[in-house]
Amino acid sequence: MKKPYNETWVNNLHIQNLSQIWLKKKLITQKQFEQITSDFPEYFYKPGFFVKTGLFLFTLLAGSFFSGFISLFFLENSTDKIFTVISLVCAVSFFFALEYAIKDRKLFHSGIDNALLYMAAMATLTPLFLTFEHLKIWQYCLIILIVNSVLLVRYADILIAFVSVAALYVMIASIIISIPQLKPFLPFCLMLISAVVYFFNRSDYGVYYAYCKIIVKIAALVIFYFGGNYYVVREGNALLSDLLIPIAPQIPFSVLFYILTTAIPISYIYLGLKNKDRILLITGLLTTAFSVFTYRYYFDIIPLEIMLVIAGFILIILSVFAIKHLKSPKFGISDEKDDSQNLVNLEAMIIAHQFGQSPAQDHLDFGGGDFGGGGAGNSY
Amino acid sequence: MTAKSILEKIVQKGILPEEQALLIADYERTKSFSIHRELRAILYLGITLLTTGLGILIYKNIDTIGHQAIITLIAASIVACSYYVFKYRQPFSRGIINSTDQFSEYVLILACTLFLTLEGYLQYQYQFFGSRYGIAIFIPTVIFFFCAYRFDNRAVLSMAITGLASWLGLTISPLSVLEKNDFSAPGIIVTGIVLGILLIVIGWLSDTRSIKGHFGFTYFLFGGNLAAVSGLAGLFKNEPKIIYFLVTAALCLFLIRTARKNQSLIFLLMGVIYGYIALTYGAFVFLPDSVLAALSIFYFLFTSLGVLFFLLNIKKILGLKK
Repeated sequence: MKKPYNETWVNNLHIQNLSQIWLKKKLITQKQFEQITSDFPEYFYKPGFFVKTGLFLFTLLAGSFFSGFISLFFLENSTDKIFTVISLVCAVSFFFALEYAIKDRKLFHSGIDNALLYMAAMATLTPLFLTFEHLKIWQYCLIILIVNSVLLVRYADILIAFVSVAALYVMIASIIISIPQLKPFLPFCLMLISAVVYFFNRSDYGVYYAYCKIIVKIAALVIFYFGGNYYVVREGNALLSDLLIPIAPQIPFSVLFYILTTAIPISYIYLGLKNKDRILLITGLLTTAFSVFTYRYYFDIIPLEIMLVIAGFILIILSVFAIKHLKSPKFGISDEKDDSQNLVNLEAMIIAHQFGQSPAQDHLDFGGGDFGGGGAGNSY
Repeated sequence: MTAKSILEKIVQKGILPEEQALLIADYERTKSFSIHRELRAILYLGITLLTTGLGILIYKNIDTIGHQAIITLIAASIVACSYYVFKYRQPFSRGIINSTDQFSEYVLILACTLFLTLEGYLQYQYQFFGSRYGIAIFIPTVIFFFCAYRFDNRAVLSMAITGLASWLGLTISPLSVLEKNDFSAPGIIVTGIVLGILLIVIGWLSDTRSIKGHFGFTYFLFGGNLAAVSGLAGLFKNEPKIIYFLVTAALCLFLIRTARKNQSLIFLLMGVIYGYIALTYGAFVFLPDSVLAALSIFYFLFTSLGVLFFLLNIKKILGLKK
């Protein structure tokens, strides 16, 4: 299928970004860099993050009032049919605006085109949902999957990619649940599907889909972990069997799931470090936090605050040790700082939010503001 | 496209000589994998968990013998952290200090949060400051401001600014400025606007006089957000509306101008969004009903298209370089 974003430019953008890194590392000269930029040109309009956000929000605003404006013409009788017509008119207009924005204004995932694409996708799906009422869940998911896949191939948008993968998983899961023989093996089926998705996602689809690949990869890794996580399986099992008791019953193969809960995050981190794969590493770290939560949920031996102190202490010691140890790179892993000012400011904001002081009331209650621990998130 | 195929392309075009391409390919193959950010995130998470845990621990064990030990432990940790920070301190400078020691920054944050825990506990248990709660918040604020400037730490500066705001009865952290403040309390809106503008002025001064110019961003962000939200709250709730409207509009213009000067587009976004809300509300309040009836259908559609046009051509309109 022909792609709306100029593929050569996308590739050239990638080349420019890479040579920018080489320039910073002083592997190429400024003059060579300039020549690369002029020999591999791109003319996309790429605003910064904040302008992008503004463009996105105001496009959504304009889009929703545009559909309101369209529906004014059909106010007399509001049946499903009229609604279908309105949606179709909106979808056509949004797609038209989207193509115009990309071709003529040279937008490249710049907020406006993202917003138009999402609105267009929704406006396309609405009449389909209205026409086919009383379908099963997997049939709705199939509709979402088909529409989004087409859009994904054409526009390579990350949210569309995420929705497609989510629809795929929900579809397969609901099919499996409806078959009694397969239902007990749902976790293993999900893990198997994740492995398949991960495998297919590894092939080279070009720079055009680079970011979509990342999203699909994260989704596959996370679902694979959830399929083996004891907490998810036990509580999910209780939920699916409609058991309305406060404590979910024990599940078969519990030992296996306990092992998987530990083994998957560790292998993610190990493989991430070994293959220099940042996504695998970060997913591993986050799933580790969830595993800690899982164990803490079922083995409530020590009180939360002591657990927090110990965990905090261990994390501090661990990271300080690693930072000291990695002063010179070991096994191809280093602690090299890359300078970006924005993140310093972001860090300060997060800390202010977490430790920020709230106004004093009748008594002072300092000690940490909002509880923001990703590790042992237990509400209290 | 891998680095290798890209290099081949560049060599084909004759931009890079063969030997240099080989060097770069070598670099790409052997370059190290930096986990700097991940390690800092873990370190920071550790500090958060530790201080949160200690904070709860103290309050839960208040009438037992153990808590004396915890207090001693916390006090000792604060002393140890302060010693560490002082030992590795750099001479004061008006610009950015690049610390040679990589832990100082985090040790200072740890010391400051522990200090908050300890002080809060002393007040809770022994009424250290009696009923003058103001002093209890003001002391850490002063200390934090001192530490932020002396050791050049932006995170501690943010903590100091939130402290200052909470001394005046405001919650100021950017994510909770809307949800946690009770704007119906008398005087809080004016306090918010005044404090916000004051912070902006301080930020502007540190920027122009180059006294810790890089702190300007923090001041602008806190001050601008607080002042604009307070201004909007005043516009919605209080009379005379025209004054609040003018104040908010002036602030938004200032934010957009700041964006132009600092090349920092977050201020642009803030200015545009707050300004749009103020203008829209103003239009619906001030304009006569007959005009409104004609406008209302098209207002949002055309104004948001107008904003889009403004944002798309922002570089030309404001003369931005980036």
